[in-house]
Amino acid sequence: MADATPPAGGAAAAPASAPAPEPKPKVPFSPILLKHINEPGSHTIAHYQARGGYETAKAHIGVTDPGALIKLVDESGLRGRGGAGFPTGKKWSFLAKGTGKPIYLAVNGDESEPGTFKDRYILEKDPHQLVEGVILTCFAIGSKHAFIYLRGEFILGFERLEAAVQEAKAKGFVGKQIFGKDLELTITVVRGAGAYICGEETGMLSSIEGGRGYPKIKPPFPAVSGLFKCPTIVNNVETISAVTHIVKNGAAWHKQWGTEKSPGFKIFCLSGAVKKPGVYEVPLGITMREMIDGYGGGMKDGKKLKAVIPGGLSAPVLTAEMVDKCTLDYESLASLGSMLGSGGITVLDESVDMISAIYNTMRFYHHESCGQCTPCREGTGWLEKVAHRFHHDEGHEGDVELLADIAKNMRGRTICVLADAAAMPMQSYLQHFKGDFLAKVKETPFVEKKRTYRDEISPTAKKLSATGAGPSAMDVGSAEKQ
Amino acid sequence: MNVKEVKIKIDDKEMSVPSTWTVIRAAQENGIEIPHYCYHPDLTIAGNCRICMVGLKGAPRPVVACAQPVAEGMEVTTKGKDVEEARKSVMEFMLINHPLDCPECDQAGECKLQDYSYAYGRDHGRFHEEKVVKSKATMGPHVKYWGSRCIVCTRCVRFEEEISGQGNLGVIYRGDRSEIALFPGKTLDNPLSMNTVDICPVGALVSSDFLFQTRVWNLHSKDSMCADCSVGCNTRVDLDSKERIKRIVPRRNDQVNKEWMCDYGRLSFPYVHENRLMKPMLDGKDTPYKDARIAAAALLKKKRVVILVSAWNTNEAFAAAKSLAEALPGAEIAGYANPGRAEEKFPGFTISGDKNPNRKGMQEVLGIDADVSLKELAADKGAIGTVVLMHNIPGYVPTAELKAVLDRTESVVLLDLAKSDLLRYGNVAVALPTLSSFEKSGTFVNKDGIAQKFQPVIEPVNFGRSEPEMLTDLVRELQGAPVKVGA
Repeated sequence: MADATPPAGGAAAAPASAPAPEPKPKVPFSPILLKHINEPGSHTIAHYQARGGYETAKAHIGVTDPGALIKLVDESGLRGRGGAGFPTGKKWSFLAKGTGKPIYLAVNGDESEPGTFKDRYILEKDPHQLVEGVILTCFAIGSKHAFIYLRGEFILGFERLEAAVQEAKAKGFVGKQIFGKDLELTITVVRGAGAYICGEETGMLSSIEGGRGYPKIKPPFPAVSGLFKCPTIVNNVETISAVTHIVKNGAAWHKQWGTEKSPGFKIFCLSGAVKKPGVYEVPLGITMREMIDGYGGGMKDGKKLKAVIPGGLSAPVLTAEMVDKCTLDYESLASLGSMLGSGGITVLDESVDMISAIYNTMRFYHHESCGQCTPCREGTGWLEKVAHRFHHDEGHEGDVELLADIAKNMRGRTICVLADAAAMPMQSYLQHFKGDFLAKVKETPFVEKKRTYRDEISPTAKKLSATGAGPSAMDVGSAEKQ
Repeated sequence: MNVKEVKIKIDDKEMSVPSTWTVIRAAQENGIEIPHYCYHPDLTIAGNCRICMVGLKGAPRPVVACAQPVAEGMEVTTKGKDVEEARKSVMEFMLINHPLDCPECDQAGECKLQDYSYAYGRDHGRFHEEKVVKSKATMGPHVKYWGSRCIVCTRCVRFEEEISGQGNLGVIYRGDRSEIALFPGKTLDNPLSMNTVDICPVGALVSSDFLFQTRVWNLHSKDSMCADCSVGCNTRVDLDSKERIKRIVPRRNDQVNKEWMCDYGRLSFPYVHENRLMKPMLDGKDTPYKDARIAAAALLKKKRVVILVSAWNTNEAFAAAKSLAEALPGAEIAGYANPGRAEEKFPGFTISGDKNPNRKGMQEVLGIDADVSLKELAADKGAIGTVVLMHNIPGYVPTAELKAVLDRTESVVLLDLAKSDLLRYGNVAVALPTLSSFEKSGTFVNKDGIAQKFQPVIEPVNFGRSEPEMLTDLVRELQGAPVKVGA
């Protein structure tokens, strides 16, 4: 899931214009992470080594200073590709040191954000770059044990990754005495059981620990107390895969693409009403239009674009006007009140009923709320039920305000951001497509008669209470506190 | 460990608290109420109910007080618009799927949903949809579960994991369908199970024994102490309008039982009202106290008198026994105890195997080790004229050793609670009814040497004279001094 704190101002702030993209000399870009995915046997170690695989690890493991590797990743400006976009090098530097506890790396391959299917390609088609990234990362952060958590539905991905780990082990890249150095590394591939919440970093840690995938309270952050209460670094599959290439080619190489604050390249998952949906690896900072019209081949069936969900289902929706101003980097989307998230771009055309879309969205979050925190447990269900009424043309007067209020009450009041992930789309739909909601309001308001006990009780009791002969109905006091 | 103190400010109150505390703890210890459901001082922090939100200076939004560690210079507000709004919204969320079945709910009257609803609730609902209905279940012999009332605070789950260590309970399903359930093949049948009922802040987990017995607002409470074993759990006894005991719940004492007690102790009280010895008896017939006393005094003049006290007597009774022995030249004092069971040790609570509340007290007052003493007395084969048997143990089955002593005793003066096996055992010449620990005051010394005084919670159900009083009466009778009984 998109583990993101929404930008200041949230969906409510829609500035007049997005900042212009950085005037950077255009460097030609060809896919890096996805370069070999269409070659036969790309998932095997033979194929990977034939194109120079594991040479980077061999050159650095036990040779380079781990601190220098962290510095290199920090300088590259790589930001977390799972959704939150937190600078990776910075995250690594937060690791609690000298605790005497083991350090873990947990790689998040749960990829459960609807509209996102990028990690799947890495896992199924080119898993060795991830394994090499894990080796490099573990060396940099001083970890001897990495966990890679995959969503349960990734069957082929699991098989290929597990095979890749075994191949690397057979070659002596993983296991004891890796690369002939006095270093060891265990990689454990863990499969989830089909819960969205296990893609939230601490929910994932709970799941790896063998517990129910309940997110944990932060602070303490995983870098201080994470997996099994030990310092843990949690990174996305794409992030760790990118580390391989950054260590190989250097920080400057990575920074030649993208914007100043969002350097590098990213895989986007384009789906919905476009001619050529799919995964596209592009430099950050290209325009949304270029993605849709260029890579996506334009709108399907020549229909008009109505809205775009830019970063996975939880990202606030963009209208057609906002899409024109949008570039694919963290800052541009934040300034539009949305987020780059996991890079799952879903394009909605004019034929889409936005009420149906939000109902479907709410149904998903209701189904997936873990049920730990009250506002999310109850709020997601409430939102879905009201959205369901709208979907069936049974909106009541006041329901639009009610939806807004429920969403507001869910934001920022829970342990993890699933409540926000459910509330943000609702708020953005209400903001940008309020008319669609109002068109569905067909009923008068629900009767909100402010009743008191006095109205409810029988005439006899009323009379008694009026004469003071019986217990007053208003004497129903709060129970004595223990 | 050296714990640093930090200065913090909650509302307008400045305080200095250990740096390991959380905001909610600091507030509670300083008399500031912060509403909470999932927080419990003896369990790990879950932070899931979200109602304990407080304002924190410098934080963009309210934080949960239960999970917020204190820090030097921290400024917390428990009031204000943000905080109130947050709590109100949580309260609304809590109740949208709640069945609102207070009229038939056992928890009504002592329910945190009711309490906080009064403070933060709305006067009308905005939820017009169908409610989620969850299952009902029998969790174990003493605990039932009403799923729809559950707010999934997971206190019971954490209790089962951390205190009883049985891990029988877990959460199943997701989101608003979340329910508490037993793991397959398990039941909530450990002797700490009813603590889950106590800590359940709502009416989801209820006691099968107390269910539908009474409404809690018809009860009044008195502080007491459990006499069922040598732990000496502090309790609160709830009584109905007829002064009958309806339930016993633990009362916090961090040195003794924290906030827990075992189910044995909780369910031990029915003996108070059952099969009690109501009046003094002489040769198996009810008799006035005076006659019984005179008869007993006569028996005490026999050759070889043994005052045999059980470890269920109070320190005060032990002292009275000592005075009696001093008044009778040549009288011996011996002790005995209820036979022990295996100790039951749980990660967060231990049920003592010693089923006597005052073995330590006997040692302290009389210098007698109960087990050694009875063994010695049983081993010595000499005939005994009279045994003053201060028994007071409910549900006791006479041991071979005690029988060996009584078998060679000419006559027994029995001080006991109930018409027990001992009364029927034979040579009981005089039987004097005694008071249970619910009917008298006294002192027990628990297994850790902590002396705890307790007060009566109900009027005596029987003739109403406590053991120290009766022994003192006997001493006066022996000395020929007048005995005054009652008004």
